[in-house]
Amino acid sequence: MGKKRKHEEASEAPKEKTAPTRPQRTLMGWKEGEVEKKSDSPVFRNKEKVLVTCSRRITYRYRHLMLNVVSLLPHCKKDSKVESKESKGATLNELIELRNCSSCLFFECRKQKDLYLWMAKSPSGPSVKFLVNAVHTMEELKLTGNHLKGSRPILTFSTNFDKEPHWKLLKEIIVQIFGTPKDHRKAKPFHDHVFVFSIVDDHIWFRNYQISVPHNETDKVDRGGLDKMTLVEVGPRFCLNPIKIFGGSFGGPTLYENPFYVSPNQVRALEKRKKAGKYAKKVKAKTRRKMHEMSNPLEPDEFADMWKE
Amino acid sequence: MRMVAFKETEILLNGETMMADDVEDVDDEESESEPEEVALSEPAKNAVYNKEGLLEKLDDISWPENVEWIHKLTVDHDHDQEKEIDVNDDLARELAFYTQALDGTRQAFEKLQPMGIPFLRPPDYYAEMVKSDAHMLKIKGKLLVEKKKIEEAEERKKAREAKKIAKELQAQKAKERAKRKKEEIESVKKWRKQRQQNGFARGKGDEVDLAFDDFERTKKRRPGVAPGDRSGGFARKRGNEKGGKKREFRDAKFGHGGRKGMRKQNIAETTNDLRGFNDGDMSKNKRRKG
Repeated sequence: MGKKRKHEEASEAPKEKTAPTRPQRTLMGWKEGEVEKKSDSPVFRNKEKVLVTCSRRITYRYRHLMLNVVSLLPHCKKDSKVESKESKGATLNELIELRNCSSCLFFECRKQKDLYLWMAKSPSGPSVKFLVNAVHTMEELKLTGNHLKGSRPILTFSTNFDKEPHWKLLKEIIVQIFGTPKDHRKAKPFHDHVFVFSIVDDHIWFRNYQISVPHNETDKVDRGGLDKMTLVEVGPRFCLNPIKIFGGSFGGPTLYENPFYVSPNQVRALEKRKKAGKYAKKVKAKTRRKMHEMSNPLEPDEFADMWKE
Repeated sequence: MRMVAFKETEILLNGETMMADDVEDVDDEESESEPEEVALSEPAKNAVYNKEGLLEKLDDISWPENVEWIHKLTVDHDHDQEKEIDVNDDLARELAFYTQALDGTRQAFEKLQPMGIPFLRPPDYYAEMVKSDAHMLKIKGKLLVEKKKIEEAEERKKAREAKKIAKELQAQKAKERAKRKKEEIESVKKWRKQRQQNGFARGKGDEVDLAFDDFERTKKRRPGVAPGDRSGGFARKRGNEKGGKKREFRDAKFGHGGRKGMRKQNIAETTNDLRGFNDGDMSKNKRRKG
């Protein structure tokens, strides 16, 4: 029963068996025991590790987005491209276990046009599939901010994340994936950037700003400096449209489906259909006219052969 | 007719195959019978929404309750009027995000400050940044170019305005001058007439005020070169080679003492100006004939 767990929760505790009986659930069952341990050993170590990969045939724009995300998360591990459509879920789960990670960000690009982002918690956590829109990478010259690589971000959420259970779940996943662990090796000490996640029109919008506030000391803002704080956008920017939430990692029972989601293929098909109708309608109109003319013949014109030689 | 029917069926087939393509779980309740881009609430009825499952999973993955805030660093921001944010209005949307970030950071800093840990980056802390220096130079260059463009546009506008005003002023001045000229001529005529009337007997003590005193003298002659000088300002007096370089430089900068230009040669000022004739090169007569 010494199955090695790759969880982020404090790892010293689970080795010993505590007096209370083991709870029924085996997957996350350690939780109950650990909560009591927490009061004794107040150390909570965030051992989150994120595996970041992409599918093959990814375009340059989305590849740059992935690289930007990699630079934003010091607790991530970038892996090589993943092939194969069918057994994608199994491959990814194996990869996560192999690299000893606890969650995964998978950028899947279909038809070289649409980007889908998977966020999954391992080994049996929920996973979400998003459609990504409105991508602006950090390389754009209009995004002029800059910040330390690896500094811990401040995460801000709009309050409508607490309104419904699926948003709550998404918020938790985002906090765990996008928040840099406190004592991570590569984490830098200061807080100089802030992430914005807000829900507008049932989409999650992401922004990343650099904080510039006048200060002379490292642990105190100048008097009135909080009012003079300005934010400069660093990038990247993207907009996530949740498609489905699954109970397992890259698969499992569907817990949530977005009722308003229309896949980009359907959107394109509808547009094509609208355009396709034009020619068909024209031809139909022509034949209708012909039939009409045939059924109502004109009277012979008296002046028809006036100019005939 | 047959061609048309064939085409229609082809299109339908394509539509169906494309639909089944990318959904991971085979749940195909999303009918796209509406010819609009955003699906209406009709498909919503078949969507799965397992609240208990979601909350269960949430409990599974969330960190323990008594984790300190410093680990999470999350701040919630309340949008008072979130309904009014139109997604398509870029400015309003970005403003909303900006205010959310600003507010959130303020709250976070207020929490961080009493903790006593350093959280503000000192200006001499050099570490790897998320964008390279070369990239930042490019950004700087672009910003400078934009600033320059704006400034130039403004300058051009100002110059245009100034030119307009100057033109107006000039027109006014010309008008005034013409008026005064007319007046003066009139006054002379009047004076002559008066004298005529009074029979030319008067002396100098005229009552008529002739206002001759402010004839305008144009001050626009360049005093450097004598009017009869045909060298255009380039000739210099002999014996002045000491400050040769300096002299050359100043000539080039300030115009060689004034070129010939399109000016009248025989005017009141030049009649009495004998610069060109005074000992110009008389020390050594080049063509001494005897």
